[in-house]
Amino acid sequence: MRRLLHDMNPSVKFIIVTVSMLTMAFFFNPWTPLLFWIGILALQVTMSRINWKLWALMMLPFTLGAIGYLWTTLVFGADTGGEVIGSFAGIEVTDQQWAHAWSLTFRVMAFSTLSLLFAFTTNPVTFVMSLMQQLKVPPKIAYGTMVGYQFLPVLKDELTQIRQAQRLRGISRDRHWWQRVAGTRRLLIPMLAGAVRKAERAAFAMEARGFTGERRAEFYKPIEVSGRDYVLGGVFLIVLTVSCVGGIWLGGS
Amino acid sequence: MRQPWKLKEVVLASLFGVVFGIVYLVAIHFGNIWAGLIGPIAYEWMFGIWFIVSILAMAIIRKPGAAVLPETLAAIIEVMLGNAVGPRLILSGMIQGLGAEAAFAATRYRHFNLAVMMLAGAGAAVFSFVYGYFVSGYAALDPSFVLLMFTLRVLSGAIIAGIGGKYLADGLLATGALRGYAISRTKQGGASA
Repeated sequence: MRRLLHDMNPSVKFIIVTVSMLTMAFFFNPWTPLLFWIGILALQVTMSRINWKLWALMMLPFTLGAIGYLWTTLVFGADTGGEVIGSFAGIEVTDQQWAHAWSLTFRVMAFSTLSLLFAFTTNPVTFVMSLMQQLKVPPKIAYGTMVGYQFLPVLKDELTQIRQAQRLRGISRDRHWWQRVAGTRRLLIPMLAGAVRKAERAAFAMEARGFTGERRAEFYKPIEVSGRDYVLGGVFLIVLTVSCVGGIWLGGS
Repeated sequence: MRQPWKLKEVVLASLFGVVFGIVYLVAIHFGNIWAGLIGPIAYEWMFGIWFIVSILAMAIIRKPGAAVLPETLAAIIEVMLGNAVGPRLILSGMIQGLGAEAAFAATRYRHFNLAVMMLAGAGAAVFSFVYGYFVSGYAALDPSFVLLMFTLRVLSGAIIAGIGGKYLADGLLATGALRGYAISRTKQGGASA
């Protein structure tokens, strides 16, 4: 039970998450995103095994963003009519704006939670392999992406090296954020030039070992869609439908 | 006009995706802190940062798809790195890439000067704003406020992505690393014309 979300087929999970988010975009009542958010949290609690401390840390910036949404919508909300239910510092808030503001806030929270659900339970390599096997992404693109992903630690080390080399040659450390922004080019150009050279070498090495980029029918590690994936997909869709219907029913609009 | 993509070009796009994936991650955390204070408008002026990779890659590779593919790859890699924006980022990456691509396609992939690149940055901004209008529910906001957000985003796309992309492409060309790519094969030599 606690492994279900981790073992779910990544492509199916990806489609379900995307469909859920696009569906949410049609709702402006506060209840639908709230119900959906609670549903997603419940699924994550019961069907996955994750580091909740890290999860909370990742949610923090989005919670801040959600607060920003809340007050922006209250202050700059579209004038759609409705009764004035209160005023604060000379800004009158109608019940419509109040509902919209909470709706957008809960939408941000639901989206972030859903995103973290995906991020915390999906193995990146399996995800790309599944994109290639289930969603027919061309192998050239899939393996090209994998090369980039595997180079990440190398590029990180290189960034440190470039910084240290520049400091050895007497470039002082940037103290303020505007200096850092201005100094980005000094770091980006060598990084990108290194990336170009690595790309060429990696591509040559792949071709030298017989990689043609043709589609194939068999894979070293096949990733399959099983009955369990359909069931889990169904559970997500039920949560989505219940929150849509429930939201309309509770919101009365 | 339809040359197939070489593997080294795909890998290049993907590695650029990684480099910019790191830049984007830093930018989004910076943006989130602001967003708590001043709301979603915090992202608008810096939105151009997200479009740079399309424009830079198009300047170098100069093939149809050279704006969409790197932006999509950058998004996939960001998702692989465990970006908290999550899988919908892939969709927004594609849409932004398409916006930039539209500008290059409109000039039939013949001109890669600053004006076209700024147009591409603005195109990416327009496409991403339409998508954002839908997904983030800007419809609930006051039209004049939405207009302000839109203007900021288009300016940011044209300036940060257009001028920034051109600046990076020129800088990179000067390093000599780009031999063997379309940008070095043009007679003019530079990313211009």
